[in-house]
Amino acid sequence: MDIRISGVTKVFEGDIVALDGVYFAVGAGEFVYLVGTTGSGKTTLLRVISREVLPTKGQVLVGGFDLRRMRYNDLAYYRRDLGIVFQDFRLLSHLTVLENVAFILEAMGVPPREVRDRSGFILERVGMWHRRFLKPPQLSGGEQQRVAIARAIVNAPAVLLADEPTGNLDPRTSDEIVQLLTSINASGTTVIMATHNQYLVDAYRHRVVELSRGRIIRDENQGRYAADVDL
Amino acid sequence: MSTFRYLLRDTFRLIFRHWGMSLLTLFSISAVFFLLGASSLLSLNTRHLLGNIEGQLTVQAYLKPGSDLEAARKKVQTFGNIVQIVAITPDEALEHLKARLGNRAEVITLVGENPLPPALEIRVERAAHVSSLARRLVAMAEVEDVVYAGGLAEKLSRLSVFVGRLSVGILVIAVVAAVMVLFNTVRMAVYSRRDEIHVMLQVGATQTYVALPFVLQGMLLGMMGAAFAALTLLKGYSSAISVLAATMPFLLFLRDGALLAKLGVVLVGAGICLGWIASWFAVVRYIRDAVKPL
Ligand SMILES: Nc1ncnc2c1ncn2[C@@H]1O[C@H](COP(=O)(O)OP(=O)(O)OP(=O)(O)O)[C@@H](O)[C@H]1O
Ligand SMILES: [Mg+2]
Repeated sequence: MDIRISGVTKVFEGDIVALDGVYFAVGAGEFVYLVGTTGSGKTTLLRVISREVLPTKGQVLVGGFDLRRMRYNDLAYYRRDLGIVFQDFRLLSHLTVLENVAFILEAMGVPPREVRDRSGFILERVGMWHRRFLKPPQLSGGEQQRVAIARAIVNAPAVLLADEPTGNLDPRTSDEIVQLLTSINASGTTVIMATHNQYLVDAYRHRVVELSRGRIIRDENQGRYAADVDL
Repeated sequence: MSTFRYLLRDTFRLIFRHWGMSLLTLFSISAVFFLLGASSLLSLNTRHLLGNIEGQLTVQAYLKPGSDLEAARKKVQTFGNIVQIVAITPDEALEHLKARLGNRAEVITLVGENPLPPALEIRVERAAHVSSLARRLVAMAEVEDVVYAGGLAEKLSRLSVFVGRLSVGILVIAVVAAVMVLFNTVRMAVYSRRDEIHVMLQVGATQTYVALPFVLQGMLLGMMGAAFAALTLLKGYSSAISVLAATMPFLLFLRDGALLAKLGVVLVGAGICLGWIASWFAVVRYIRDAVKPL
């Protein structure tokens, strides 16, 4: 699924301009860092893609599909093609690690047996299988982040949107998380990752898109999956 | 199929996680439906009693001696709301009387000529029609006197109208109360799980999948509350009736088993419907707002 954002402007209540005429295209299988100072519009751009935010102006095409024309019931099916890692995790604290991952599949009507197998496989992959019966409050920040990533990729999404996935993590855990995202990307998933961490951007080289006050001020193709950006 | 299993599991989780709230809801719903059922029983019984009495409602119009009985009958026939008119000639009246008096009949035969007037015996449909009919009869020139045992029936018919209004009032209050209780309970459950609802919607659960456990919760609570009320009410009613019938056999209580069973089914059905409506309103608005993009 490729993403095409053309001339998107988002003005929030109180005349706050979060995005200001953004043109942005991501090809299938790319890895993109979204950087920029706080308040520059990174989260808003990700939320435009997940259709939690409707642009005030401009067009968003995902897989050739216009998000503005999306009907009520199509939204759920569209989001099944996305994986979202929230800036604040949003794990459900009364469910175990396993249940936090499993309920995504349950909501899609996957049979119980398969739910267990796939959840187990994903938890193994992010290195959290041994913690499967704990609840999120019993986990460290890095562990919670891994569970959040596991939940985001358990439905094998075409696009993974990760908002500050290394937010409050120590350098080593941050490294591991980006390595994990890189390996997910290597298996074909498009990854868009918002981050403040310059060290990671330098260490694991991919395309970098920089936002400032809602405008794109830099777009460097550094990665192996450089897309032909024709805007 | 597996979706259905998840839905049921989540529904029972909702009910048992807030078991105190669920019990309280069940109790309130039961009380409301008990009241509703009791008022229906009262109304059914009054109507039953009225129906029984109405079956025997007659008005006797005694005509002036020598009046044309057949002409009077035809005239009364036009009044409306009349089931049957029996014209009784003085001779027939005498025969009836003799038959009723049996071996004491000589008393009458001693009287030289037949003193009984010709009469009309009129059966009406409803107790409410008795007094207006009586008034019209009295106004007729050939009628001398009107006799009817309509006092009780008339009072009963007025009571029945009152009871009918009362039970409509109770019905309205009960429906509003039940919906409010159920709405609140489901709302609480929705709020206690709002994080979950948001995350589920963000990761691609359909609105129906998210809403259904709450709707089922409301329907189940409504159904169980109503069923509990119906069982206690009908059980209590039938034992009360058998005691009363033994001591006061002249009272005509409703004992139609099929009708009572129907009342039970209607109560439970109403419980399910109200649960559905209340929980639907409690959850759907919330989900619509949650899924609306900024
Ligand atoms: N729901 C909202 N209502 C009003 N204003 C908003 C809303 N969401 C974001 N904004 C504003 O839009 C601007 C961009 O916010 P955004 O969250 O996209 O920044 P960001 O780049 O993700 O910042 P950070 O790095 O701190 O996460 C900010 O000025 C913010 O106050
Ligand atoms: Mg942000």
